[in-house]
Amino acid sequence: MDAGRRSFVASATGALAALAALDWTEVARAAEHAHAAAAAPGASAEFTALTAAQAACVAAIAARIVPTDDAPGATEAGVVYFIDRGLASFLSANREDFQKSLAEFEARVAAAHPDAGDFAALPAATQDEVLKGVETTAFFGTLRLWTLFGLLASPAYGGNRDGVGWKLTGFEEAHRFEPPFGYYDRDYPGFVPYPPEAAT
Amino acid sequence: MSVKQFRPQDSVDFVVVGSGAAGGVMARELSQAGFEVVVMEQGPRLGPGDFEHDELKYWYLNGIMNKPGESPQTFRKLPTDEARRVQGLNALWYARIVGGSSNHFTANFWRLRPVDFKERSLLGDIPGTGFADWPISYDELEPYYTKVDWEIGVSGLAGACPTDPPRSKPYPMPPLPVKSSGVLFERGARKLGLHPYPAPMAIASVPYRGRPACQHCGFCIGYGCEWRAKSSTLYTMIPEAEATGRCEVRAESYVFRVETDARGRATGVAYFDGERREQFQKARAVVVCANGGETPRLLLNSANAKFPDGLANSSGLVGKYLMFNQGAISGGVFEHVLNEHKSVQVTRILHDFYDSDPKRGFYGGGGIDARINPVPLGFPLFGLPPEMAWGAPLKRALREMPRTMFVNSHTTSLALERNSVSIDPELKDAWSVPAMRVTYKDHADDLAIANWLNDRGHAILEAAGATRTWKMAAVEWVNSPHLLGTCRMGDDPTKSVVDRYHRSHDIPNLFVCDGSSMVTSGRGQPTMTIQALAFRAGEHIARFAKRGEI
Repeated sequence: MDAGRRSFVASATGALAALAALDWTEVARAAEHAHAAAAAPGASAEFTALTAAQAACVAAIAARIVPTDDAPGATEAGVVYFIDRGLASFLSANREDFQKSLAEFEARVAAAHPDAGDFAALPAATQDEVLKGVETTAFFGTLRLWTLFGLLASPAYGGNRDGVGWKLTGFEEAHRFEPPFGYYDRDYPGFVPYPPEAAT
Repeated sequence: MSVKQFRPQDSVDFVVVGSGAAGGVMARELSQAGFEVVVMEQGPRLGPGDFEHDELKYWYLNGIMNKPGESPQTFRKLPTDEARRVQGLNALWYARIVGGSSNHFTANFWRLRPVDFKERSLLGDIPGTGFADWPISYDELEPYYTKVDWEIGVSGLAGACPTDPPRSKPYPMPPLPVKSSGVLFERGARKLGLHPYPAPMAIASVPYRGRPACQHCGFCIGYGCEWRAKSSTLYTMIPEAEATGRCEVRAESYVFRVETDARGRATGVAYFDGERREQFQKARAVVVCANGGETPRLLLNSANAKFPDGLANSSGLVGKYLMFNQGAISGGVFEHVLNEHKSVQVTRILHDFYDSDPKRGFYGGGGIDARINPVPLGFPLFGLPPEMAWGAPLKRALREMPRTMFVNSHTTSLALERNSVSIDPELKDAWSVPAMRVTYKDHADDLAIANWLNDRGHAILEAAGATRTWKMAAVEWVNSPHLLGTCRMGDDPTKSVVDRYHRSHDIPNLFVCDGSSMVTSGRGQPTMTIQALAFRAGEHIARFAKRGEI
């Protein structure tokens, strides 16, 4: 297709490698799951694949990857619910490895910050320091990928609640738009041809 | 309309393997010429109502693509490395549905230029590479490029590029409406003395041949078009082939072997139907248009006692000289809103740096375009540099997405014998067919030209007045949708797989036409050329058949 598409693919391969091979039936199941959850608000406090402690840690990391400021971030998007549902369905092949990595991460945090108890209890600045130390690991790369999935993928998958990820990025999902699309193409005067001597 | 259906035991005139960019054209050309054609497609047949705006599914869960679970591949950079099974996304990826990758392409339709066909003669040998001239010239292919413009449907502005190659007719449709990225690209590039122009796109800008105009939904790259405005073979060639009453497109029919007889002639194809039952379709001739990855795999997997190294492989070159096209990206943020998620990916390009220039110290050339890649997920995942990976810098970048655009460079890949598609000695797919093993490492010049051109792209963003810019260095490809060169065409049977008419040198009734036929990589955007080759090959093959020369 083109370089942009492939460049992502090359750079994201490390993270994508963490995703198992999937097929449509699994995705369909995930979507069904998400739709069912969306239809039953309040049920979202229940976690399926993660324990409450694991969920708290995942939510805390996601909140540092896409922090909340005056605009919503990973927390408001419900990223942790997306990840939980994913691990119970279309990301299930990753579940064991991920939970193992998460335990190792928490063990490292506990060793370095024995008073805090766990990552979620650390102050934000300390959390950032901890994450800086692991930002090149596969664990962090995977969580970043899943956090972005949960922020920006269709709300049908259980994240991106109320479309907060799409509002944040100015993305609108529609089947039809009309020009002008933005500020700069509003008053475009039309393409001005080049003089013949330009063909050198 | 009742569509013709053949029985496997009927010996049809042609079996075409693959229904994509090349196979769709081949099916129409041969059926309109009066021949009976069965087109075999591995994947299902989807329609406009089946295509979704689901970025997670289409981009990260292999939605309509070949899947590493059921269609696995192994990858290694060098022949001396261990080839490992690929996870997540296959090394060679394509849309596995009727219409093939012409469904999910971005629709950048650049012609090759006269120089592409004779660059080896002009520049001389590049030691250690398979750099070669094509057996045909631009002039020979030009009428078929024009056929693509008119019969597939391309929007553009003829003569807008001062170095536009000769064309016998203008485009049938005007360019698509310019986007803010196109306006800014044009502004910056003109300031630098360059010659940006409206991008030729295989997307209808106005209603065309029964299809509606583009509605600017923005889901081109990686998606099927729910409006039928994208000129995929699914919406153009295939319905026209079926309308002849002589063509059947057989979906969910996975060809795994081309059979030959004692005389060494092809007799038909063995395939798995939708229930994974083995079937055999008899045919008087076989045309393989399965893409630059699956075509060599099929020929190699068809090895038999008479052809122990695979079909059409007396040169030993089936699967060799795989080429991807290199490229790199720069990003820029502007003062006002661009809303790049709306409409097609590209509206302005330039070709000022098309030719290779020995003064640069390396081989290569390319084009630059103003574009948006898939959003919103693709924006942070492959549009941002490492320093914006997470935290406040990522948050800021996400909020600035409506004011951000990208400039991509698209460049050459040199043909290297070591870069190849071969058969993995152990791995098999879900049908127990031996899987493909991909070996690929870019030539140093490929990376050098990608970075060199990306510097020019970055300068355009600065000249256009971007308030913040970044540049991402070219990386060695480990996968690609551009699958080129693996059954190269040529006059010398010891140095090529097919002749100038796409007939295999070894088997008179076996033809091969798709990205695998290309001798050099062009400068990116190969589909236009693949389809021009298919129109040309289709015309010649039909002529041979009528004269009893197959």
